[in-house]
Amino acid sequence: MKRIAVVVAGLAILAACGPSGTTPQSNTPKAGGTATIALENELRTLDPMDSSLLVEREVFYNLYDSLFVIDPSLKILPGLVKSSDVTDPLNYKFTLQSGVKYHDGTPFNAQSVKDNIQRYKTASNSKRKSDLKSVTSVEVVDDTHVVLHLSKPDATLLSTLVDRAGMMLSMDAVKKGGQDFSLAPMGAGSGPFQFVEWKRNDHLTLKKNTSFWKPGLPYLDGLTYRAISDVNAILAALRTGDIDIARRIAEKDIASLKTDSGFIYKDIPALAFNGFELNTSIPPFNDPAKRKAVALATDRYQIVKNVYFNVGVVGYGPIPPSSWAFDPTEKIYDKADPAAAKATATGFSFTYKTTSDPVLQQLAALLQSQLAAAGITMTIQTQEFAAYQQECQQHKFQACQVGWSGRIDPDGNMYAWWHTGGDFNDSVYSNAQVDAWLDDARVTSDVTKRKQAYANAQKQIVADAPYVFTYFNVSTQISNNKIHNFTIYPDQMIRMVDVWKG
Amino acid sequence: MTAYVMRRLALMLPVAFLVTIGVFLLAHLTPGDPALILLGEDRNPEAIAAIHHRLGLDQPLYVQYVTWLGQIVHLDLGRSVTTHQPVAIAIGERLPATFELGAVALIWSLLVAIPLGTIAAVRRGSLIDRLATGFTVGGVSIPNFVIGIVLIFVLSVSLRLFPFGGYVPFNKDAYENLRHIVLPAIALGTAGAAINMRFTRSSMIEVLNLDYIRTARAKGASWQRVVFIHALKNALIPVVTIIGLQVGGIIEGAVVTETVFTWPGVGRLAVESILNKDYTVVQGIVLLAAFSFMFANLLVDLVYGWLDPRISYA
Repeated sequence: MKRIAVVVAGLAILAACGPSGTTPQSNTPKAGGTATIALENELRTLDPMDSSLLVEREVFYNLYDSLFVIDPSLKILPGLVKSSDVTDPLNYKFTLQSGVKYHDGTPFNAQSVKDNIQRYKTASNSKRKSDLKSVTSVEVVDDTHVVLHLSKPDATLLSTLVDRAGMMLSMDAVKKGGQDFSLAPMGAGSGPFQFVEWKRNDHLTLKKNTSFWKPGLPYLDGLTYRAISDVNAILAALRTGDIDIARRIAEKDIASLKTDSGFIYKDIPALAFNGFELNTSIPPFNDPAKRKAVALATDRYQIVKNVYFNVGVVGYGPIPPSSWAFDPTEKIYDKADPAAAKATATGFSFTYKTTSDPVLQQLAALLQSQLAAAGITMTIQTQEFAAYQQECQQHKFQACQVGWSGRIDPDGNMYAWWHTGGDFNDSVYSNAQVDAWLDDARVTSDVTKRKQAYANAQKQIVADAPYVFTYFNVSTQISNNKIHNFTIYPDQMIRMVDVWKG
Repeated sequence: MTAYVMRRLALMLPVAFLVTIGVFLLAHLTPGDPALILLGEDRNPEAIAAIHHRLGLDQPLYVQYVTWLGQIVHLDLGRSVTTHQPVAIAIGERLPATFELGAVALIWSLLVAIPLGTIAAVRRGSLIDRLATGFTVGGVSIPNFVIGIVLIFVLSVSLRLFPFGGYVPFNKDAYENLRHIVLPAIALGTAGAAINMRFTRSSMIEVLNLDYIRTARAKGASWQRVVFIHALKNALIPVVTIIGLQVGGIIEGAVVTETVFTWPGVGRLAVESILNKDYTVVQGIVLLAAFSFMFANLLVDLVYGWLDPRISYA
């Protein structure tokens, strides 16, 4: 695979020579046409219940409706829930949209909300159980009113209901689909597009939902998704016109695409953070000074410039600029300072685990040279993804490169990572004060208090350096110029409801 | 003949048994946890344990093997770890695309190899022979993904003569199907063409020096008749052996070509399943590849008899 990746990399340079066309621009939405969208991986499931991939969510937002939605500023807005009353932190009262029908013709109603949440909470293969942990039961008041009873206050719940845990499916369609439902969710959604067919490794086709509950939408007659696993091959397909939209191409190719009038490139800060974990439970990083030395010696500006071609911004902590909890003053480790690093700790060595991804290899080599300037020896260990992932999760590492795609609520970027015993706390970091801030921020709905708690926790985590933050990436529009009215969301999802082609 | 075939089939059983052990160990002993791949950013200890239990990964390895072997004996390859789709269906859905690509690649290789090899043998030392030798060296030494990428760049991205990757079923649009298959088939078939050409040439040279050829010429048969009727059939015996191995190796060759051309066949499924630790699918595909080799070898042995009546199966 490594050989293929290396050679396929040549495609981008070659593809850059290809011709490109221009089309006249118009601002009046035009109905009709289909769009082909590239996915960087093949999907595994079309059922939100057992989904774990970003590319799956990308499809779901066009196939299913969620109880809540977000706008590009991450404000939570009504979706299938028309209005909500969350003044009682243990009983969330929702009024539902009326007249919404699933693609199979069955109505969306309060009972459907109850059945969906019940399914997500109890099915043996559900991956939504922890998302909905705080919900104890759903009470159906009448056809358009439900109450969610919570075991404890949960300030993150509404943002959770934007994503897969809040996606509503026709239970009739789920039953009819049986064991193969996740491969062919015929009629299950209520979103702007409905399922037609999925031929794995080839294409996934959705067609326009002509009875969509938002009048006049969608504009497009259908969507086709194609899984193309190499970013260079995605660019080639974009240039040959085989695809209209991509979520990601190699950062090195963005500058040339920007100057090509046949294509549109735009970006905004995403929710993700990137960097590497340091294992605080074993030497050398059980010594806080050595962690700090690594954080001080890391030149983030050089990384963003040389590895990511200035696509994205320097990362200082877990909360990205797109979040309401972002603190622009928080720059404990800003410019690289090898002298200060040397004064803190030097002369030690460690092993850095990463995968064979060419960009990550480049990043590792750069880090190695940056740390060498502070007298720190970093050995790069490249592993096959499955092995690397398992060893990092089992804390069998000294340093491990790993990023996070990000969540709408800041809790999703912090709790699992740095709360004692958190599901993603591979670094085995533990700080009672940080735990308390993160717990407090979870249960209070006062945004000012939450923001302060996250600022405090972030400051402590960055200073303690169980994770060295390097870079925040971006959410993009990468398409040909026939695609209009595309809205970029920080969660990197491609929402096609009001996109048109002309 | 029937007794021979039955005996060969019976001999396959112990080989098949050993293959199952090898395949199982290979798939299970490689590092990585399917539960972590499945859960991605949704991992937590309860979910990991639930998946281990559901997949039987909490059982000792020999129990897992015996369970799987029991399924295989009942012709059940199990379900995919990642998609829950029955493995037989997952492979079956992709086999037509792989066979189509393999068949067209093979036809392309034979169309190039046999005429070129024959002419090179008859006109030894000529320009055409030297060009054919150059083609052999190039065809064997350039990996098929390099050929594929050059073809994509020149004929797809630059000249826009062929689409970039993808697949259209023949029954949906025959023209588009052919347009999509040209580049991957050339990429996949070129190495085979080079090898087959080399074998045709050397075998032809050997046959042309045999007594019966001289006799045929002495009886007044024309060169064309001697070469194409008398010599070629006998010269093809070693080529058939090689073709047999190539047929058996279609899946193996397709792994790379299908990935480069995003061709939805078994090869691409294999790559994706290995990366996803989808061991049930990997086991199914490797078993299929092993059986393809075994049956291709049997078929080759049977074709020998047709090509050379002196070979008996008694």
